[in-house]
Amino acid sequence: MNSFFTPAVAGLSAGGAYAILGVCAIFTYRLVAVVNFTGAAIGATGTFVMVALYEHGAPVLPGAIAGILAGALTALIIGLVMTTWFAGANASTKAAVTAALLVGIVAVGLRLTGGQHPHAFPDLVPGSAFRLAGVEVTNAAVLTVVLAVVFTVLAELFLARTRTGLQLRALSERPMAAELIGIRVRLLALGVWAVMGAVTSFALMIIAPLRSPDFMSLSLLVVPALAAALIGAFRSFRAALLGGLMIGIVEGLVSGLDAFSQYRSTVPFLVILAVLLWSQRGARWDEAR
Amino acid sequence: MSALEVKGLVVNRAGVPVVRGVDLVALPGEISVLLGSNGAGKTTLLEGISGVIPTAGGSVTLDGANVTKANAGFKARAGLAHVEQGRAVFTEMTTEENLQVALHPEARLEEAYALFPELLQRRTIKSGMLSGGEQQMLVIARALVGRPKVVMIDEMSAGLAPVVVSRLMGAVRKLADTGAAVVLVEQFAALALAIGNRAYVLRRGQMVHEGGCSELAKDPARLHHLYLGDAGDAAA
Amino acid sequence: MKHASLRAALNTALSVAVIGVLVYALLPNYWVFLITAVFIVGIALQSLGLVAGRTGMISLCQMSFAGVGAWVTGYLNVSGFPGGLPVWIVIGGLAAVPVGIAIGLPALRLRGINLAIVTLGFAAAFDTVLATITFPGQTTFTQVPRPMFFESDRGFFIFVVLVYGVIAVGLEFLNRSRLGASWLAVRHSERAAANAISVPRAKLSAFAISAFIAGISGGLLAGYLGTLVSENFNMMQSLSLFAVATMVGAHFTLGAILGGVLITLFPELLRRLNLPQDVGAVFFALGAVQALSTGETISETWARLGRKLMPKRKSGAARVAGPLPPPAQHAGGTALEVKGLSVRYGNVVALKNTSLVVPARTVVGLIGPNGAGKSTMVDAIAGFLPRYEGSVLLDGQAVDALSATRRAQIGIRRTWQTTRIAPELRVGEYVRLAAGNISDEELNAVLQWLDCPTPEALIATVDAGTRRLLDVAGVVAARPPVILLDEPAAGQSYAEALKLGERIAEIPQKFGSAVLLIEHDMDLVRRACSSITVLDFGQVIATGDPQTVLALPVVQKAYMGIEVEEAAA
Repeated sequence: MNSFFTPAVAGLSAGGAYAILGVCAIFTYRLVAVVNFTGAAIGATGTFVMVALYEHGAPVLPGAIAGILAGALTALIIGLVMTTWFAGANASTKAAVTAALLVGIVAVGLRLTGGQHPHAFPDLVPGSAFRLAGVEVTNAAVLTVVLAVVFTVLAELFLARTRTGLQLRALSERPMAAELIGIRVRLLALGVWAVMGAVTSFALMIIAPLRSPDFMSLSLLVVPALAAALIGAFRSFRAALLGGLMIGIVEGLVSGLDAFSQYRSTVPFLVILAVLLWSQRGARWDEAR
Repeated sequence: MSALEVKGLVVNRAGVPVVRGVDLVALPGEISVLLGSNGAGKTTLLEGISGVIPTAGGSVTLDGANVTKANAGFKARAGLAHVEQGRAVFTEMTTEENLQVALHPEARLEEAYALFPELLQRRTIKSGMLSGGEQQMLVIARALVGRPKVVMIDEMSAGLAPVVVSRLMGAVRKLADTGAAVVLVEQFAALALAIGNRAYVLRRGQMVHEGGCSELAKDPARLHHLYLGDAGDAAA
Repeated sequence: MKHASLRAALNTALSVAVIGVLVYALLPNYWVFLITAVFIVGIALQSLGLVAGRTGMISLCQMSFAGVGAWVTGYLNVSGFPGGLPVWIVIGGLAAVPVGIAIGLPALRLRGINLAIVTLGFAAAFDTVLATITFPGQTTFTQVPRPMFFESDRGFFIFVVLVYGVIAVGLEFLNRSRLGASWLAVRHSERAAANAISVPRAKLSAFAISAFIAGISGGLLAGYLGTLVSENFNMMQSLSLFAVATMVGAHFTLGAILGGVLITLFPELLRRLNLPQDVGAVFFALGAVQALSTGETISETWARLGRKLMPKRKSGAARVAGPLPPPAQHAGGTALEVKGLSVRYGNVVALKNTSLVVPARTVVGLIGPNGAGKSTMVDAIAGFLPRYEGSVLLDGQAVDALSATRRAQIGIRRTWQTTRIAPELRVGEYVRLAAGNISDEELNAVLQWLDCPTPEALIATVDAGTRRLLDVAGVVAARPPVILLDEPAAGQSYAEALKLGERIAEIPQKFGSAVLLIEHDMDLVRRACSSITVLDFGQVIATGDPQTVLALPVVQKAYMGIEVEEAAA
């Protein structure tokens, strides 16, 4: 049993990151009506800014803060593009734009970070937290899970209790009616983008040391993020939270099985397929919608 | 000085000209009633004025300032309130939250509840659960607490019982009495003409009549002609 | 239309042949080799053009389909399957089809975003699988041989150009067929398309065919390079392909070639300028965003500029208009009946116990103030409401259990208030989509009868008001038992609206159909209808001939809130 437990727990920190990314994806979709394929790439930008500063001798904390700000800034720029030229576009077009932007960002990111060149990733939260049934649970794992939970709760509270949250809810339900009562829809949208950028960067910074990734592989975490968001039906933060954790754990389990360990990256895809099939159970093929 | 002045406004919908050069003036404290059968272009005109759809010609002046090219949010914050048809309440939010999100810093929720006590009773209920009449009261109250200079209301009586419509008309009169300029778009001439000051009639995107409300109310044959055409009316 | 298809196909074949011959004859081996890649990528782009450009779906895993094709080709080579490359690439393409169907099926009935997500997920998963199982022959360095007679670089170039040409010509025919028009219809307005075709079927066919074509391009790549590595088909390749396809408009034949040029030759150009080659990716990303914001791809821009430069063709000079199609012989009696129809949306009662009758071969008007329930009634009759009480009967038979598509098939056809027709279609293609099987002369006759543009005119050049008339033309030409016309005169001038009214009055006699006309222009209604029904607050308040009904006090009150005599008193 131990041989399953260890990789499952190892998958927990990744799962926490997927959960955060998934919640961010839902946040972005609900509030500014965009399915954002660049979510993880924005986080990668922030992460690698931190790494660059670290490799040039900067201490970890200011480097991390700079990275978070860089992530927020990148997200803000993308938000500007979306609100300036695509404010009235339909969902497919906006998604296509983020997919195209992903191509550009990854190309630039790979170039600026030297491609496959290995980097030193500082452990933001080194050390182990505790042992669970003989398996070591790292601080990083605990932090990502805690961060995911805290972020979900804060997001829900913010939307429900604050004045800005109220305006965001109005904006997400009827953007035109919200604008007509004077809500600054553009400013709010940009704020949402910036916050998403910051949170995503922080989350990826924490798990980067575990994977020693390059810019591209970090950006492609958008796939499990969207899988988690789909589990939440792009609506429920809590379902996405649990979904993301589950994907991470299942991935961990699969990597513990020698026969399938190399196929662990197929897990998010299978999850997506399963969720889509499940959501249509009982529907007739040719039913008029 | 007029609160709202529209000159030669042209508005297209999907490339088709729907409003073909319209003039309109709304004075503070007055109710300007805009009549016309459906398809005449009344909703399109309001949407062009408030900025929901872009205009293709003409000008919109708010309190003397030219706002033709400004976006809808800017005009709203400058005091132009547009209550769209279809009772666009934020269904997932409670009645009170609907009012709070639109609240002007100097306004208070009590003003809305004073005008519509029903809303006070239903303040913690999700606005999607309110009846049609209550939702209409809510959107008018939502416009009121924004302390607007101009309020444009689009077909608030659609689908509502006459008794409810009378209540709403009374509330609109009170709204004008606070100093706002009101543009009231209606299909149902009678009740609107009874509380209005100026009357405009739109047909196929052009203004075919402008005058006093009381005069038009006394000449229903003319109104019938303007709305429903005439068997012998072969020429435009 | 057959002439147009043949002409377009010849055009395409000719352009491809000319380019091929020029390259072959004039350029040195190095360039011929490079330009072979242009055409191979061009095939992959054509597959994306079909699914994204034409049908409007986002697919982010085309290169993975190519990878399937390549893998199968390699496998067939290693296992000594007969036939050589030409046979293997076709089998590789066919192998990609079930993969495409398996991925696409769950997502196709949902919003388009879901397909984007599932294809991206597949691309990621496929990368992993391919990296693990490797290409057949990769470890033994077994090369994939080129076909006989085409072994040299120049020879293989000819082979690739031939395949490209065959696919391009095939797509030309497919695009002009009913299937192809249905793809465009799905892209521009799914709801309207559901009236005439099965939307999931259209999407699935587009996706499956595009997987086939992508698979072929992968097989060709195997022959081109001899050995392959998984990087050729990874997720970033698929994403870049998507960006380029969006930018150039890969559903146009020359657009696909342009895209191939960009992907293959642009890095070459950068290399010679000593610039980093991945700058190209940024350029593609920006180009795609630009195309998406203006709604116009490079191909469309060139086509638009080209139209401006070319001299205007004399329109309508010799328009062969034969007789209108003969009227359909439908049963007499009552064509359409609505009995006790009630519709609720939550708390709101939209229609309450409404009934109306449309006798065969008559025009009945449905009027009423805004919010009276006219649109709801039309939606209920046509089958676009999931639930209602009461009954809708076509020629005495209840249709309540049938879907909208099914009702359209058995004879209840409708037009739409907001018509979104694909601008790339021609008038004739679009009207045929709705009208079904009619000859060219009959099509011309219907279009002329309604003062519509010629069949060759591009929808992009037709204004919105006239597009509504095309809707009417299509539905009328189909000659169903019942036609629902939803505000067909919007956007028309007064004189045009009156003329349309006269035409509508003639529909029963000329085409054999019964018409239910929703309108609010009273003069049009008087001219067109033999009987009208007035709705107010979801209930029928009057029925009868127009002159009498419009003078009724209750109708005047419904519209204006006052009655003529009452106020005068």
